[in-house]
Amino acid sequence: MTILEAAQALRSRAVSSTELTEAALKRIGERNPELNAMIATLEESARTQAKAADEELAQGADRGPLHGIPVAVKDVFETRGVRTTCGSVIFLHHIPDRDAAVVERLAAAGAVLVGKAGMHELAYGITSNNPHFGTIRNPRDPQRIPGGSSGGSGAAVASEMVFMAMGSDTGGSIRIPASFCGTVGLKPTSGRVSRYGVMPLDFSLDHMGPLTRSVRDAAVTLQAIAGFDSRDDTSSQEPVGNYLPDAKCSIRELRIGLPQNFYFERLDPDVDMAVRRMAAIAESLGACILPVRVPDIEALNAVGRVILLAEASALMEKYIGNRDQFGSDVLALLDQGRLLPATDYVNAQRLRRMMQRDFARLWSQVDCLFTPTTPMGAPQIGEKTVHLGDFVEDVRLAATRLVRGINVLGLPAISIPCGRDRRGLPVGLQIVGRPFDEALILRVAAALEDAVS
Amino acid sequence: MKNWEKIAEAYDLRIPDSDLERIAPSLDALELAFRPLTKRIPDDVEPATTFRILRESGE
Repeated sequence: MTILEAAQALRSRAVSSTELTEAALKRIGERNPELNAMIATLEESARTQAKAADEELAQGADRGPLHGIPVAVKDVFETRGVRTTCGSVIFLHHIPDRDAAVVERLAAAGAVLVGKAGMHELAYGITSNNPHFGTIRNPRDPQRIPGGSSGGSGAAVASEMVFMAMGSDTGGSIRIPASFCGTVGLKPTSGRVSRYGVMPLDFSLDHMGPLTRSVRDAAVTLQAIAGFDSRDDTSSQEPVGNYLPDAKCSIRELRIGLPQNFYFERLDPDVDMAVRRMAAIAESLGACILPVRVPDIEALNAVGRVILLAEASALMEKYIGNRDQFGSDVLALLDQGRLLPATDYVNAQRLRRMMQRDFARLWSQVDCLFTPTTPMGAPQIGEKTVHLGDFVEDVRLAATRLVRGINVLGLPAISIPCGRDRRGLPVGLQIVGRPFDEALILRVAAALEDAVS
Repeated sequence: MKNWEKIAEAYDLRIPDSDLERIAPSLDALELAFRPLTKRIPDDVEPATTFRILRESGE
């Protein structure tokens, strides 16, 4: 069941929010011991919120499609009076006195917060193999990682614990778990969703967005959480659009770019085939598939890594004296950032400006881009490298290779499931759009979802 | 390649040798990818970070 289906059932009185919430709590009780997707379950407050939602709906006070729907947020979103750890022992006792803007907006939309999703330590990694709170497992194959850093969010949605879980994305951390777990994951344009009250990893690369069971569920969530927030310096005053695609949305004559360089190199052949199949389906729906050459994404990734290493290390500098507080992979990244000269950081931000201009030219040729989200399906827990043809690549670098650059550019992107590989693992299609054109990528994604379901 | 051990020592970062050995290959690879890019930045390109003075705050 999707959010929109549940919303319809709530309004026809076929089900109550209390029943949906009890079902979510039961599902968490059944699946969480194995998957470890949720770091905290908020049973009492969820039941209170569900009861209030039922009463409001009975009185005709309708807050929209999220009203009465059980959801979760990654444990990077601050929740008033509820511990928020960021997956780190440093914040083991951090009980915020405020809600993140996203949490406020979800509450205003009537959503029922049933829990906080686990994550990679400090949102700084892609395995969600957390040394302090345990390994999060992929519901599609519990011997494999769910991706990260929003691994708990991906696992919670894929295992149907909740209808939607919020994630954060600094170098792919929404789209990678969406790809590995077989869910939808939306990273909006930089500035579209407020970062207020979200524990930061990187000042200039962090984005907030939902992981959901369907494209339209991502759209209604974005509708609820998007908009200007004066408490976030990077928040945009760009008007919020209408994100929900029509029931029979058309993509006829849209120009979809299929990169001829970079994005289809070093892929699992099953991923290559699945993504090209989606391009063929888009073409059959009337879209024009255009071969395009994209600017130097390898360079863009290097720039993104310098920015992330420097900014994350600057943020954590005051804690690094106590090295035992960090997992070895996070510590290695923090040390790397401390060794970079300040001139490299400034030049990375200058290169970012240049690359933003280079990439902007692409939008005169196409309306959106199709790429794979990750070059392979979910790796095994503990796997350090992946073999892609003749190449052996570090798991983290491989998983972030096709998504990281989009954060550097601040562009909106969505990952949707587009089939399975030979092992039955989900494959993700990434659709990248123009700045603030979430409506278009959601429409394309919905049309494809409609066509294959 | 840069001598990361000496850089860490000069900055007094107190990174254990074994940890430095572990991260050196990643830093070397990043150095190889990033350093040539810096040569192609025109002088007039400003960083993608902005400082905006606000009249009301007098910042």
